[in-house]
Amino acid sequence: MKQESTLKYTLRLAVTLLLITSVVAAVLAGVNFVTAPIIAQLKAEKLQKAIEAVLPGGGTEIGFTDETGLVSKVYAGEAGYAVEVNPNGFGGAVTMMVGIDKSGSLLGVSIVSQSETAGLGAVSAANTSAGESFRSQFAGKTDSVAVAKDGGEIDAITGATITSRAVCTGVNAALDCIARMG
Amino acid sequence: MNFKKQFREGLLTKNPVTVQLLGMCSTLAITTSLFNGIGMGLSVTLILICSNVLISALRKVIPSQIRIAAYIVIIAGFVTVVDLALQAFLPDLSENLGVFIPLIVVNCIILGRAEAFASKNGVLASAVDGLCQGIGYTAALVVVCVIRELLGAGTFGGGILNGGEGIRVIPEGYPAMQLVMPVGGFLVLGFVIAGSQWLMRKLDNRKKDKEAAKQ
Repeated sequence: MKQESTLKYTLRLAVTLLLITSVVAAVLAGVNFVTAPIIAQLKAEKLQKAIEAVLPGGGTEIGFTDETGLVSKVYAGEAGYAVEVNPNGFGGAVTMMVGIDKSGSLLGVSIVSQSETAGLGAVSAANTSAGESFRSQFAGKTDSVAVAKDGGEIDAITGATITSRAVCTGVNAALDCIARMG
Repeated sequence: MNFKKQFREGLLTKNPVTVQLLGMCSTLAITTSLFNGIGMGLSVTLILICSNVLISALRKVIPSQIRIAAYIVIIAGFVTVVDLALQAFLPDLSENLGVFIPLIVVNCIILGRAEAFASKNGVLASAVDGLCQGIGYTAALVVVCVIRELLGAGTFGGGILNGGEGIRVIPEGYPAMQLVMPVGGFLVLGFVIAGSQWLMRKLDNRKKDKEAAKQ
């Protein structure tokens, strides 16, 4: 029996692999084509919900100046402003939405995404009584906030000082940004 | 194909986590609450069954020399399809399982079983193998999760029971918080593996005694 030449052998392997990757790529492209618009729509809805959670009535994006480097977006609405900030938590950046009314006092805080430890830092974002009581501490504040350990008034989440500090840092960055707007 | 044998192997003697030592990264990283354990376990089981079936069906077609590259392409593509589908059509579930799905791509168990079993066995046997290994994986995860959560956070059923907070068993301030951190993951996993070895040895000895008694 004739031995398969090296060229033919290599070609056979290469073509098979090419076929497999092409089929997989085509399937992925197809699935992406179908799902991409749906996912984009869901993301937009989620963003509106996050804004409305801290700013009743929602808001639209506006320009801003930021000295802290933590502010990514600012939305202005009838009730005031919603600021999206990204302070560094224990397990990475914590994306939060901070609502501030026109007089410069805090309306509320919501956590959009975080990768903190479950049961500890993640409580800051949870819809549990512990999470809500932590977040509600910020409402009404006008000056910069800090956890009790750092001389401030905020009760940190038990065992999650770093996450609690991150939330305070985010809130302060938001307050600072809005104050600069005048 | 022996279902009982495969089940026993998946759960104990060839458990992907405690014996084969596969999928360690995800085991250590996410086993901090019961919901995480069950969610990850079920996701991996589902994808393991599907990828095993697919690779088993294609086993005669994929040349041996390029099999690893082919498996990785197929598995990664498959997981991405599942991830996109979940994000689009089941957003709430996708939100809850969020980080787990992409983690599955790098979970060695999928590739490990594809190479060790699915590439050499029929489609049905591979599907059963996926199921049994997945159950073993989930069981190992749940054991580690329960221990870490109970002794590290003091709760049971975090993410599922009691509206997400879990039932508090140990009062606040007493649990060993380090168990929920990475160091705790290593420690608990080590003890679970040791415990599983002890169990297997005990069952082995009992079997030997039975056979000796017969003679």
